[in-house]
Amino acid sequence: MARAAKSALVLCMDVGFSMSNSEPGQEPSFEQAKKVIQKFVQRQVFAENKDEVGLVLFGTDGTKNSLAKDGQYENITVHRHLMMPDFELLEEIENELQPGGQQADWLDALVVCMDLLQKETMGKKFERLNIVLLTDLNVQTSADQLDVIIDSLKKAGITLQFFLPFPVDGEDRADGGGDGPGPSAAPARPGKGLSRQQTQGLEMVKNIMTSLEEEDGLEEVYTFSDALQKLSIFKCIDRRPMAWPCQLTIGSSLTIRIVGYKAVTEEKVKKSWAIVEAQSHQRDDVKRETVYCLDDDNETEVQKDDTIQGFRYGSDIVPFSKVDEDQMKYKSDGKCFSVLGFTKQELIRRHQFMGSQVVKVFAPRDDEHAAVALSALIRALDSLKMAAIVRYAYDRRSNPQVGAAFPCIKEKYECLLYVQLPFMEDLRQFTFPVLENNKKFTPSESQLSAVDVLIDSMMLVEKDEDGESVDVFKVNHIPNPQFQRLFQCLHHRGVNPDDPLPPVEPWLKRHLEQPQAVSARCHCPLQDVKTKFPLKVVVKKKEQKTSADVFGSSADEPDAKKVKVDEETEFNLAEIAKGNITSVGSVNPVRDFCTLVRQKTVSFDQACQQLTHRIEQLLGNRSPEYYMKSTACIQAFRDQSVSSGNAELFNSYMQSLKRSVPDRNLQEFWDLLIQDALTLISKDEVDGSTFSKQDANQFLAFEQKEEVQAAPVQEDTGDVDDLVSVSCLFGCFNDKHIIYYICECNSYL
Amino acid sequence: MAEWRKYYPNEDDEVEEDEEDSGGDYKLSGRDSLVFLVDASKEMFIKGEDGEPSNFDMTMQCVRSVYTSKIISSDKDLVALVFYGTEQSKNPRNSFKHVYIYHDLDSPGSQRVLDIDKLLGEKGAQFAEKTMGSGETSLGDALWCCSNLYSDIKLRLSHKRLMIFTCRDDPHGGDGAKDRQARTKAADLKETGVVIDLMHLTKPGGFDVSLFFCDIVSPPEDESELGLQIEPCRKLEDLQKRVRAKELKKRSQSRLTFSLGEGVNLAVGVYVLARTATKPSAVKLHRDTNEPVRTKTRYFHAHNGGILLPNDMKRAQVYGKKQIVMEKDEVDEIKKFDDPGLVLMGFKPMDRLKLHHHIRPVLFIYPEEEQISGSSCMFTALLLKCSEKNLFALCRYIPRCNTPPRFVALVPQREELDQGQTQATPPGFHVIFLPFADDIRTVDAHVGPTASDEQVDKMKEIVHKLRFKYKCVVFYKLCPVHSSYFLRSEMFLMDNCSILILLLSHTLCVPSVPKVQMMDARLGPLAQEFKDLVYPPDYNPEGKPAAKRKTGEISNGLTLM
Repeated sequence: MARAAKSALVLCMDVGFSMSNSEPGQEPSFEQAKKVIQKFVQRQVFAENKDEVGLVLFGTDGTKNSLAKDGQYENITVHRHLMMPDFELLEEIENELQPGGQQADWLDALVVCMDLLQKETMGKKFERLNIVLLTDLNVQTSADQLDVIIDSLKKAGITLQFFLPFPVDGEDRADGGGDGPGPSAAPARPGKGLSRQQTQGLEMVKNIMTSLEEEDGLEEVYTFSDALQKLSIFKCIDRRPMAWPCQLTIGSSLTIRIVGYKAVTEEKVKKSWAIVEAQSHQRDDVKRETVYCLDDDNETEVQKDDTIQGFRYGSDIVPFSKVDEDQMKYKSDGKCFSVLGFTKQELIRRHQFMGSQVVKVFAPRDDEHAAVALSALIRALDSLKMAAIVRYAYDRRSNPQVGAAFPCIKEKYECLLYVQLPFMEDLRQFTFPVLENNKKFTPSESQLSAVDVLIDSMMLVEKDEDGESVDVFKVNHIPNPQFQRLFQCLHHRGVNPDDPLPPVEPWLKRHLEQPQAVSARCHCPLQDVKTKFPLKVVVKKKEQKTSADVFGSSADEPDAKKVKVDEETEFNLAEIAKGNITSVGSVNPVRDFCTLVRQKTVSFDQACQQLTHRIEQLLGNRSPEYYMKSTACIQAFRDQSVSSGNAELFNSYMQSLKRSVPDRNLQEFWDLLIQDALTLISKDEVDGSTFSKQDANQFLAFEQKEEVQAAPVQEDTGDVDDLVSVSCLFGCFNDKHIIYYICECNSYL
Repeated sequence: MAEWRKYYPNEDDEVEEDEEDSGGDYKLSGRDSLVFLVDASKEMFIKGEDGEPSNFDMTMQCVRSVYTSKIISSDKDLVALVFYGTEQSKNPRNSFKHVYIYHDLDSPGSQRVLDIDKLLGEKGAQFAEKTMGSGETSLGDALWCCSNLYSDIKLRLSHKRLMIFTCRDDPHGGDGAKDRQARTKAADLKETGVVIDLMHLTKPGGFDVSLFFCDIVSPPEDESELGLQIEPCRKLEDLQKRVRAKELKKRSQSRLTFSLGEGVNLAVGVYVLARTATKPSAVKLHRDTNEPVRTKTRYFHAHNGGILLPNDMKRAQVYGKKQIVMEKDEVDEIKKFDDPGLVLMGFKPMDRLKLHHHIRPVLFIYPEEEQISGSSCMFTALLLKCSEKNLFALCRYIPRCNTPPRFVALVPQREELDQGQTQATPPGFHVIFLPFADDIRTVDAHVGPTASDEQVDKMKEIVHKLRFKYKCVVFYKLCPVHSSYFLRSEMFLMDNCSILILLLSHTLCVPSVPKVQMMDARLGPLAQEFKDLVYPPDYNPEGKPAAKRKTGEISNGLTLM
């Protein structure tokens, strides 16, 4: 099958000395043009198509092109011949593209590019030849050859695009603002600031472009800042939809030939990640082995040949041989698009749409009769506000679907839109408690009006001056952030292998946020809603996992680990019921500890001692996962202490822990405790505590100089002795000492 | 041929998110359990007029359908079938007279379906008479026996339900002591978290719930549930519907924060109300024993053979001839934009929701009062106002950690009841996924001649003849893939007789194949008339299309912009 035709493009960039000039506070044209090229090549690299790109520089100190002879075509360098763009080109642009000290005629450069294109596309098939000129036009050009050049451009079918620092038309200047990205690119310079050469050059550009493309020609002249905005968005993944020829049937005798195209479907990232060895980065160094084993205690391994496929049928597993499996496939009679009947469009609810695609159905291109027949159907359905319910099968091997074909009439074309509908088995009929007539939840009039105002302030469709409504947040114009971010990171890592990943680009972030005008508008209504609706987070004892939550949101750490830890700390009643926990282990110390306390197999003091021992071990690792585990331990320690009315152990441990923070470099961990508000147990919570609520609240705060000072909370009661002895024990702080301390502490009690 | 596949991804490609779609994690929530407690008294076996099935037969059909649907949808759930008012007794140590445990609490399998089949129809009635018979009734004993069933289960049960099927509103015939005992046992059961429902069946003279059963059943879960006011079930369809509505415990896929901005947050549960039912994935079995086999994947170094731990490996992709390497954590980090949740962007009129902006089946959200109190009130206010103003809410949606965002439309749906006062549509918002720019493909429209009014009018006549009221219920039980798959599964396990029954039951309802003859008859000469209007005499639309397969032509070559 013939591959889709490819294109060839030559980037022709002016690096002459005038390009390095800039007005104060503005980026030189050279830098802007370089960025345009970079972004473009980047897009090409990640789009991975077969298009070829060349790079010609003019205004270079040296000369390197095949036309240079007798002082002609000097200071023009063919930097890269036509080939598929790769990372090497990106790196070259990044590192080798430097401003030159010369000036060269851009018309000469254009001729070099034409020559390059013609020579290097010889014998290959290209769909389009294109030259892109990036220049400030600030150089004397000889216009005498202009007509010849235009002629040969036309003959060779080469198209042109210009990128200039200023807009081609003084009035028609698109403002560079908007939501575009880019390094605050200078707004297009006013036309009056142009030099004589530039004005002259501009006239020539207009001349060329209009004679090549007539009135549309000037649309192919861009400013650098415009281009940067558009190019920083990685190209949408561009798939050519496959045609699916079929026949639409109504009953046995009425047949219309049709062609379907997948029009909307969720595009996935094309490439997957390969696994490589960490040191060598070689794929071949990693061998993957899948073994089969029985689900017994020994995990007895089984040879692959000794396994067969089976399927579950409830509690039974039914063995299926390969033959059976093939037979099991539903045998349908090939592709079809058969009408089952027609129904009112309103009976097909939007939320019943199934599947993952929308198919557009046309008549075949070369078949007028089919077009008329299909048009009759589309128009009939449209005027009756009905849709066809059809049975759709893609091919003989695929599962048949039932779906709806809606009429779609546009200014330029008409078609049917096919969407899959559910079978009864696909739906779950859940019943939910009533909301509207439930006295508990019925909003009051004032609440309703607050929401009303809020909604009005948050409308994303606005009326413009002409009374036309404008959608200010079109999702189908936003590029999928997943791809943008992935390519951004890939590019960054590709060019800077040792750098950490960059942050999400601001323009992409902005795309994902509420438009600023809307957030400004809804500020007051939201405050009103806030006061009128009491919304309170219900804290459930068992589900407390604040530290993990806080950690997940405070640090930009991927959350995979967090989940794991959560699972571990999850209370498992079944296991507790088994009751064979005798000490606090390291795998799930919280659970063990709680079990011990609950079962009273060991004394509370002992359980606490074991737990603190584990905490100290965990803290020795100084890594986030362990921190989270430790905070969970401390949370459990605190909870259990409060419920058993014993504040002493916890409070003294916390004090000692606090003192050890500077030496053990545990500030990050301590911050977690602050976030979780895991402070001392106050008198309000446990009678026996020596701390007031205020003391407890202040406790977590770190004064700069508190190192050896005993906690400023001792004066209250007669327990001072203990605390003093504690602080004595801590002459110096290290893990061992703390463990000793804990033992000591216990022996006091 | 590869392209064909690409166009139509086969099912295997689509199951990627199955894990969380399966509607809840058993590990966390435990299993659901359901006990059918069925009256086996003589009254249950009385046939209706005109040969209508007896209450007992109807109940058994209903139980069977629950069994088979459980097998398909949630095969880990536990189901039991217990008869009361029998002559024979069958329960552990036979300590309860006139209680017959036909199936104790266990996950349903094909054998159980076969067992139920034995109780169906005329033969089933005889079989029941022979094995169990009808005798005295003590509902108290029966309930006690059922409570033992629950307590014998070692697994964690999340949802415990007991359904009583009977047509007798005064089972003990005025025996006050037995009534009292039944009430006490029912109270005990309810105390342990068992929900007791009454599926009352028709009784000559009407079923009076207030006589006795009003004290047995659990109070309605919320004020709306009319519970006992409902008429007894006359038809199998009603009974099945009622049982299904009760039996399906809804599990939220996830619970999320729905943020309106500036710290105004409510909690919602996300539910999957529609999902393409896929056939269960294959499991590997040991050839000799048919024991299930697990797979373990190990990585080791190709040169020194050492086992590679996750830290010893990185991820890589090649672009532009360059290999780009990242840590596994970085690969995850790239996908992380924000914490999971729904974030409100604003509102748009419903007509801005385009028909063709469809990429996935919808989700459904409903407030979670247990997470953030006040959520329901706020949610209701939003629901009422959106629906009143005919708007949808546009939100950014991140379902899980390390998942990139998508935008969704929240379409309001107010509650609707059907004639039987059962909820037809629940109150809440449908979550409709919207496509990004990348998801919309450039399709070059085919522009051709359009039809004349005469041709359109003829087609209108055809459309008119073939119109019907679409309800997805029309396509009940006809998913051919399923039928075929389960048919074969069942055939493997069953004897010939059942295969016959099954074959019959499956072939009887596959109407998604168009009823061509019926359609032709309705159309009459219209089809020919239309063809005469649009096709020239020598045109054969069924002939091989001349055009070869080719890609949609896009004439944009490479340009910089």
